[in-house]
Amino acid sequence: MEKDGLELEITELRLGLPGRDVTEKMMKKRGFTEMIMTSSGSNSEQCESGVVSSGVDVEKVNETPAVKTQVVGWPPVCSYRRKNSCKEVSTTKVGLGYVKVSMDGVPYLRKMDLGSSQGYDDLAFALDKLFGFHGIGVALKDGDNCEYVTIYEDKDGDWMLAGDVPWGMFIESCRRLRIMKRSEATGFGLQPRGLDE
Amino acid sequence: MNYFPDEVIEHVFDFVTSHKDRNSISLVCKSWFKIERYSRQNVFIGNCYSISPERLLRRFPCFKSLTLKGKPHFADFNLVPHGWGGFVQPWIEALARSRVGLEELRLKRMVVTDEGLELLSRSFVNFKSLVLVSCEGFSTDGLASIASNCRHLRDLDLQENEIDDHRGQWLSCFPETYTSLVTLNFACLEGETNLVALERLVARSPNLRSLKLNRAVPLDALARLMACAPQIVDLGVGSYEDEQDSESCLKLQAAIRKCTSLRSLSGFLEAAPHCLSAFHPVCHNLTSLNLSYAAEIHGSHLIKLIEHCKKLQRLWILDSIGDKGLEVVASTCKELQELRVFPTDLHGGGNTAVTEDGLVAISAGCPKLHSILYFCQQMTNAALITVARNCPNFIRFRLCILEPHKPDHVTSQPLDEGFGAIVQACKNLKRLSVSGLLTDQVFLYIGMFATQLEMLSIAFAGDTDKGMLYVLNGCKKMRKLEIRDSPFGDAALLADVNKYETMRSLWMSSCEVTLGGCKRLARKAPWLNVEIINENDNNRMEENGYEGRQKVDNKLYLYRTVVGTRVDAPPFVWIL
Repeated sequence: MEKDGLELEITELRLGLPGRDVTEKMMKKRGFTEMIMTSSGSNSEQCESGVVSSGVDVEKVNETPAVKTQVVGWPPVCSYRRKNSCKEVSTTKVGLGYVKVSMDGVPYLRKMDLGSSQGYDDLAFALDKLFGFHGIGVALKDGDNCEYVTIYEDKDGDWMLAGDVPWGMFIESCRRLRIMKRSEATGFGLQPRGLDE
Repeated sequence: MNYFPDEVIEHVFDFVTSHKDRNSISLVCKSWFKIERYSRQNVFIGNCYSISPERLLRRFPCFKSLTLKGKPHFADFNLVPHGWGGFVQPWIEALARSRVGLEELRLKRMVVTDEGLELLSRSFVNFKSLVLVSCEGFSTDGLASIASNCRHLRDLDLQENEIDDHRGQWLSCFPETYTSLVTLNFACLEGETNLVALERLVARSPNLRSLKLNRAVPLDALARLMACAPQIVDLGVGSYEDEQDSESCLKLQAAIRKCTSLRSLSGFLEAAPHCLSAFHPVCHNLTSLNLSYAAEIHGSHLIKLIEHCKKLQRLWILDSIGDKGLEVVASTCKELQELRVFPTDLHGGGNTAVTEDGLVAISAGCPKLHSILYFCQQMTNAALITVARNCPNFIRFRLCILEPHKPDHVTSQPLDEGFGAIVQACKNLKRLSVSGLLTDQVFLYIGMFATQLEMLSIAFAGDTDKGMLYVLNGCKKMRKLEIRDSPFGDAALLADVNKYETMRSLWMSSCEVTLGGCKRLARKAPWLNVEIINENDNNRMEENGYEGRQKVDNKLYLYRTVVGTRVDAPPFVWIL
């Protein structure tokens, strides 16, 4: 059973171009999928040949996801609306370039280039500069003692506390940042990841 | 019948404005037909291929406003290939040649060109109002013609169109002497906007009531615009994120406070989470709120805003509001008439943002609700039965469960009973979209109870031809029937050919109809255009001796017409 499960995951992971088979990715354990996706590279030729060779097997074993992702015009959301919601996905590039940064109490967004920071210290400094506010940086380093917490939204849409995971992993998965008042953060539903590591 | 002179009858007719009523009047007698003909001001043509411009002009020589619709509804979901049709050019040309004093043109799902817009702008001296919805084929050059030449333009309303943005100076084409603008909506333009020209235009438009900006209008410009137009009633905010300083924010807040006539708010295409609080001072007057493009804003901020909106009648929102958010809506917005909840995640990725609980809460809290569009992950029969009991006044009920064939998630039963309850309770239901796991039974209910139903959308539903037959036999007022991926075939299609004369159109894609069946239908009903849209084969079907028994795995679109086969069909459309 476990063996079949592994094979299935490996063949499914090669189905289609990155970003297209979102449904299937979301159905698998996230950590596993992410590791394989980042290591197998995004060579589109590789992915397409993956489709040809593994297509038959996957469809036999698990038909529903394959059908779901290929249904044209479903869900019935008009193309104008699709374009405008897809825009959001494409502008928040994972790991590369600019992420949006918002801060509680400040009614406008900033954008910053994560790639230009070398580590959390750098990030702290950059955030301070961005908002003209000293104290954000402190939040990153010295978690419990300050007014603000820095959280980020990862690839899966979960909000995490910034500073727990290694820097490389952070910039790979950070989609946007938010500087939140500690008092608001308690009810927010942050994922308690990283505590077991 | 003529106890009064014609002028008196005509004067009475002036009070009758609905198209249906005017159509009825014209059938009373010859004299009324004639009077009505000459006095009809607004003409509505639901399918541009059902009639020709020449016949329109012969019948109604004096109209001022024309509404035309082109592509079928499923074109919105990319089911109709590019180039299928819906060209407005022949209409504009014919109207330009005639002496009709066109003042208003409203187009939906049509192909418009810059040449057409230029011709339009030059041909009608009193042209006042251009409304384009889901159209394509033109650029900002066409808009420049309209701006330059239409001296009396009041409304330029562009909704969800595909416009080639040449980033030109179309806004500066409005002459300096031009001051009659009432509606300006260019939210769908992708490119940069000449902010100086825009501000000057707004500043010299004292009658401006509706202004909807595109992404390229930043925060500080918005503040200046609102300061110029405090009389604004309907505002579409463009981009709400900015690199500017807090002074701009203060200016914006001050400007917003002065807009005491503001009743409708939309846009927020790119929005910071906290931006909405600037609008709190005007929320208590809002009747319409469209935040369905504001993917950046989290549920908690949406809720904070909505808590202030006690007079809301129309709300369009994303499912990120969650069931809890919908409960807030239910307890706050007692005047709510129309609700649309759109999916944030188009791939159905397991985030159960809204469920049947949200829908039930809304139905319980909003007694005036009559229109709903609801995208969700799951539904139950029990919930739908409760909704039907709470809200028997639905006119439009559209439920989209994201996963096809999904049953009641508690009982694993089909959702036949739930939808059955809706059609039984809602005696005024005119529009219905069904989804989830459904058998022929639901169509039995629809045929039996949905006596006022005019439009029905079916996807991935039903078991046999009986399903479709129940609907065709039962729904006497059906006008538009659109079906995809459902097992209905020739027997249902051919059972009552005359039914299609009472309908505007029928769409069937990925069903069980065969080419032979469609051919038989076309033979029996010469007053129908029976189109097979086959984007892959380009008529190879016929050349290769396509078997009559083979399924039409592309699309069938049929519609009644008085002008026969259209001449502008592309090669991939086969008109039988």
